[in-house]
Amino acid sequence: MTLSVSSQSRARPSWLAEQSNLIGLAVIIVLFWVLFTSLAPGFVSSFNLFALSRSLAVDIVIGFSTMVVLATGGMNLAIGSIGVCAVMASGYLMQTIGLPIPVAMALALLLGAFLGWLNGFVIVRSGVNSFIITLASASLFLGGMLILSKAQTFNALPPEIAAFGRMRWGFLSPLLFVALGLGAALIVLFRFTALGREILAAGANPRAAELSGVPVGRAIIIAHTLSGALAASAGLMLVFRLGAAMPSIGQDWLLPSFLAPVLGGTLLAGGFVSVVGTILGALLVTTLRSGLLVMQVGNFWLQLFLGLILLFAVMVDRYRGVYAERRSLGRKNPRQTSGRSA
Amino acid sequence: MNNRHRGARSRALPMLAAALMGLAAGSAYASDNKIALIPGGPHPYFAPWEQAGKDAAKDFGIAAVDFKVPSEWKLNLQTELVESLVTQGYNAFGIFPGDAVGINSTVEELSANNIPSLALAGCAQDPTKVSFCFGTDVYNSAYLGTKALIEALGGKGKIVHLAGLLVDPNTKLRMDAVEKAASETNGAVTVVQHITDTDAQEAADQKINALLGAQKDEIDGLISTAYIPSVVAAKSLRNLGDKRIKLVGIDDDQIVLDAIKDGFAAGTMAQNPYGQGYVGAYVLDLLASGTCTVKAEAPFVKTPQTERFIDSGTLLISNANAATYKDDLKKITTEIQASFKDKYLDCK
Amino acid sequence: MTNNMTLGQRFLANEWSALAVAILVGLVVLASMSPAFLTEFNLYVMLRSFCVVLIVAFAQMLTLAVGHMNLSVGALGGLVAIAVGGMMEKWGFPVPVAVLAGLAIGAAGGLINGLLTVRTGINGFIITLATASAFTGINLGITESIPFYNLPAGFVAFGTGRLYALPYLLLPPVLIALALAFFLARTVPGRQLLAVGGNPHAAELSGIPRDRVIVMAHTLSGLLAGAAAILAVAQLGSAQPSIGVDWLLMSFAAPIIGGAALTGGHISVAATALAVVLIVIIQNGMVLAKVDPYWVQFLLGALILAAVGLNRLRAVRAGGA
Repeated sequence: MTLSVSSQSRARPSWLAEQSNLIGLAVIIVLFWVLFTSLAPGFVSSFNLFALSRSLAVDIVIGFSTMVVLATGGMNLAIGSIGVCAVMASGYLMQTIGLPIPVAMALALLLGAFLGWLNGFVIVRSGVNSFIITLASASLFLGGMLILSKAQTFNALPPEIAAFGRMRWGFLSPLLFVALGLGAALIVLFRFTALGREILAAGANPRAAELSGVPVGRAIIIAHTLSGALAASAGLMLVFRLGAAMPSIGQDWLLPSFLAPVLGGTLLAGGFVSVVGTILGALLVTTLRSGLLVMQVGNFWLQLFLGLILLFAVMVDRYRGVYAERRSLGRKNPRQTSGRSA
Repeated sequence: MNNRHRGARSRALPMLAAALMGLAAGSAYASDNKIALIPGGPHPYFAPWEQAGKDAAKDFGIAAVDFKVPSEWKLNLQTELVESLVTQGYNAFGIFPGDAVGINSTVEELSANNIPSLALAGCAQDPTKVSFCFGTDVYNSAYLGTKALIEALGGKGKIVHLAGLLVDPNTKLRMDAVEKAASETNGAVTVVQHITDTDAQEAADQKINALLGAQKDEIDGLISTAYIPSVVAAKSLRNLGDKRIKLVGIDDDQIVLDAIKDGFAAGTMAQNPYGQGYVGAYVLDLLASGTCTVKAEAPFVKTPQTERFIDSGTLLISNANAATYKDDLKKITTEIQASFKDKYLDCK
Repeated sequence: MTNNMTLGQRFLANEWSALAVAILVGLVVLASMSPAFLTEFNLYVMLRSFCVVLIVAFAQMLTLAVGHMNLSVGALGGLVAIAVGGMMEKWGFPVPVAVLAGLAIGAAGGLINGLLTVRTGINGFIITLATASAFTGINLGITESIPFYNLPAGFVAFGTGRLYALPYLLLPPVLIALALAFFLARTVPGRQLLAVGGNPHAAELSGIPRDRVIVMAHTLSGLLAGAAAILAVAQLGSAQPSIGVDWLLMSFAAPIIGGAALTGGHISVAATALAVVLIVIIQNGMVLAKVDPYWVQFLLGALILAAVGLNRLRAVRAGGA
């Protein structure tokens, strides 16, 4: 019943099932693009595409941040707070201390990684559910940031920051390429490195992983560290986009951070991630948000649609999971299945 | 209150009608500009903008002046709304910045696409590409409000400042202004505390009642510089039946006006949201048509936030002028509008 | 192991103990710091802010009892709040009808949560994250974030009225707390609820309809969220669409500080209530001590961690002895 670990083996969807999910997602996205473009031609204007690419970049990285923790079967409610801590740290380092941009950015990323490490360390050492720990640490980090910064925006950052945020490559923002680059790195991590496989093994079945010599605690701590660094990167992307370091960044990341990976097929119970799926999931969410706004469906109903889409996506995810499990573990009792992941 | 409510619900139809008429009539309008007035989020303060926009559209013959509200007070929702409106063909924006700094990157993109924008009601932080900021001089308003409170207190006492959202940079300005007014009394009036983040109903109710519960005998005056805490403080003082503590609020919510009438509040600082929307739409139309540009050497006011500020007017409502202040504000609006072209614009 | 325990040790082993001590210390410190603390009006203010938080905490506690969680308490509360406000202002429903309809909406929302969780077998976290977004969406779509202000005078008077230091508003939470304590200790469904949370497999083997109990817990949780929302409307005197947005942290903080295990089966009505008292005292004390408002967030987080650590320590010690 606990959220952090599952004691039984979790079947990973077959290669075919995974591809079919990605293709299905891509088809849905294309359909929405056709729909929005035919109803509101402005949807594919270069102005809108640029705006879309920039918010997509942030949504993708927020999704990655949650995805790497979901890989271990845990969750990280503190990504928004970690993000804003990194944002304010970068602002302080650039504006008050006057450090060069790359140094300040690197230090802010380090801070994010450290806060993530702290989460992971406390979770592993205390054995308490990651939900509780990150719920409390989210409030601690945010409070600490507010105490130290007095909620003052840093708005005299070097002009290169805002210039980079406005830069266009064709009609896309370079930030999107940064996000895709991070995605490529994550694919390498999870596909081709021992560390990535250890993280997945720790999520799939911690006990079995432990028995076969995988340092489960270390894997969980590393996943959280990575999550912290990714949350910090998403925050820094917003600093580029806004040209300022603001204390209000990150407070509405929770829903999108789960939407992207879950839509993309990452399992909540851990043990399986889909990087490409997370990118497509973020694309679907960004498309819908922008499209519904352009079509004047009313920004007030937007939240309802996002909730219903998430609901729909997890149900699909669930039945896909059941299907995959039936195929690999035909003897499993479905009742137990539902008990475990609920 | 109720009127506003109905207004919000029923605005879809007239808007549609206006859009259709715009299509059919085409050149019947003096200008085919589509102007959007965008508050930072849902807040009763901005309600008069809707009527102001409609009146401006009628009076100046503008194709559309629409009031568009982001669903929550979040900067990203506001910028996404602006971006989607550009996509829908709106070509001039009057914006209350959801964040004084954060709005600038969006504004810069607008100006790169030759779309003029104004900061209305609240300013964007310099350097900025908004043509100018047209709103209440928050520093001055908080300063005058505190002065009025000090006068009501007879020049001495302990006061508490109820302020709005911490993330709103105007809050810091208001805190400074309250401190300044108090410091001018040479210690006769002291600011005991600034209570912030009270511009939401639940938080205001909890914090203000806790304050009154704990310290009502130690404080002599309350200065509120945000809409909601003014309402809540007026309500709480009435509940408590306390006429000793003097309150000076901001804005003209009916509850605050009633409290002034019945002696539970000394006064409230009126702002001019209607004028902001009306004159804002008028100027945006001129800028978007390309008929006018903003004068470089116009007599702008300098504030800590921006070098290009125009005051939309503020005045103290007290028992003396509670019945007539609306006319006074109308007069201010008409005056600003009539002299605006000569004072601030270069026109063809 | 109880044989050679001193009185002090036995006191410490009780989960109320730390809370009771903390509350006493807080009361003494605040009372000596400020004479205004124990005045009638301040007590009234504290009791009044106690009401809504307590019911919100109970709403979360019931889902925690079966090892689930309800991220939609606040969103559902907001929806009920504006529904009740709308029914009274727009449709002119009499107060009792509107209140009952509001409670029904809350229970229905909880029922949806429960059925979705049980039928699909999906993690309750995700289900309620999604329904929370949907509930908020309906709320915003209906109201466009504009509150309902014109509520019946009698209803608003109930929210502000008091008998000396006792707000009328305190009556429903006290009745709910008593009913809940009775329900969990003395009735069959209540005990089944705890049994399912404590050990789902054993409970199922002994014939308890596990799924039905989980659905019941979610439904009751929704019902209580609705009740909290109605009280919040009465307290504020207007139906704000923003009611509930800041309930989430509080809803988990109180039951967890009160010792509820996230794995289910272990909850205490009294300890949760004490935790809420502690939170309210701390909030009131912050204003009283003129503490920097930024500290509130920080302290709440620290308090949760401290409580979790303490419970952990106690569990380890109990297990080791």
